[in-house]
Amino acid sequence: MTDTSQAWLEKIRAFDFERTIKIMNVCGGHERSITHSGLRGALPEWLELIPGPGCPVCVCPEEDIYQAIRLALQDRAILVAYGDMLRVPVNVPKGDVRTLAEAQAAGADVRPIASPTEARAIAEANPDRQVVFFAAGFETTTAPVAALLAEGVPDNLSILLSGRLTWPAVAMLLGSFESSPASPGFDALVAPGHVSTVMGPEEWNFVVEQHNIPAAVAGFGTESLLAAFYSLLRQLKTGERFLDNCYLEVAHPGGNPTALRMMGAALDVVDANWRGIGSIPRSGYALKPAFAQHDARLRFPDHADPGRRRAGEMPPGCDCANVVLGKIYPNQCRIYGRACTPRHPIGPCMVSDEGACRIWWASGVRVAADA
Amino acid sequence: MCLAIPMQIESIDGFTARCQAKGVWRDVSLFMMQDEPPAVGDFVMVHVGYAIQKVTEADARTAWELFDQILEETRA
Repeated sequence: MTDTSQAWLEKIRAFDFERTIKIMNVCGGHERSITHSGLRGALPEWLELIPGPGCPVCVCPEEDIYQAIRLALQDRAILVAYGDMLRVPVNVPKGDVRTLAEAQAAGADVRPIASPTEARAIAEANPDRQVVFFAAGFETTTAPVAALLAEGVPDNLSILLSGRLTWPAVAMLLGSFESSPASPGFDALVAPGHVSTVMGPEEWNFVVEQHNIPAAVAGFGTESLLAAFYSLLRQLKTGERFLDNCYLEVAHPGGNPTALRMMGAALDVVDANWRGIGSIPRSGYALKPAFAQHDARLRFPDHADPGRRRAGEMPPGCDCANVVLGKIYPNQCRIYGRACTPRHPIGPCMVSDEGACRIWWASGVRVAADA
Repeated sequence: MCLAIPMQIESIDGFTARCQAKGVWRDVSLFMMQDEPPAVGDFVMVHVGYAIQKVTEADARTAWELFDQILEETRA
């Protein structure tokens, strides 16, 4: 730990709070930094750090994954997706293809990619085939999809878009919508650094202005995270409220103007379904009608099977939805580390590198919490 | 998927930059940097193959150290 981190830590330890203070993060990258650096053990006992909705793979609708599997198996499209998506299981009878990886093993042409530019290259190299880019992700990952469309894509490339916005999930937790829970379950918010880099930190003003809850944008180093925690605690102590930016060097006011323009031109913001959570108002991206010819939802048949059991739900026994909402810690799920491990994941939170369960497991948390 | 990594630009051809981070080279799209085009030698934060923002060399090095730590602990 650097001297600066140590200094922040000492300033944080100097606070005394007579109740537990809960700070939520909404970014898998933040949770990874917190967990891997062992920050929870170094911070005072009265401070709880809660991983919230920070994993786009975890909330990607089960129906969309099912559709992607059917596009690969039935429509014989080349299905490209970020590697995380390939192992997320859908709910189908035993023996049926459960994941994109299993579809690949069954002969479907499923290819993991690391960038939207690879989707374009694959489409260009296979002009006689239909290529579908299954694009799940938050704002930072969806912006490059808009850039890809703005730059131009081959006719045979279409997008199965499952893009989501992070702030509406926080707004739901804070009670901004009718469907919101009664209590947000946290006292302060660490806002995501790279979402803010693209969208602008101002997106998080509503947390402070509408809900009187301290918020601070943080980067991914220990220093930036500790600076954010200190700012949030000081705000709670003094009663002063503002959106702090502890990632000034990267998250500039106004965000990335090029990215925002391209997103505005290619994408509409729509109500969207979050797996295990339900519909959240204005929390998803859809292709604008001008890009309809590249919309896989319009180009291919809808394979939704109304008779399929547990369609849209989390797998049986999996408490991923409550982990995503920050209501329980990963090791409070009763299958964590028992039936569900990275080698044999059941829930999406154990599959994705950004899933809280996977992050906790990777950092050595092996023991299930006492219920 | 959301992990962004700082890389240094070694050459630029149109909207494609050859970038390097700690001995790993990648082609990175500069298409989302048109309002603030980076130059050869600059450091950019790269996310799913796209540069999303310029960063300073000092910030890039701090981020690399963090990733080294995480990788080391993941392997341990």
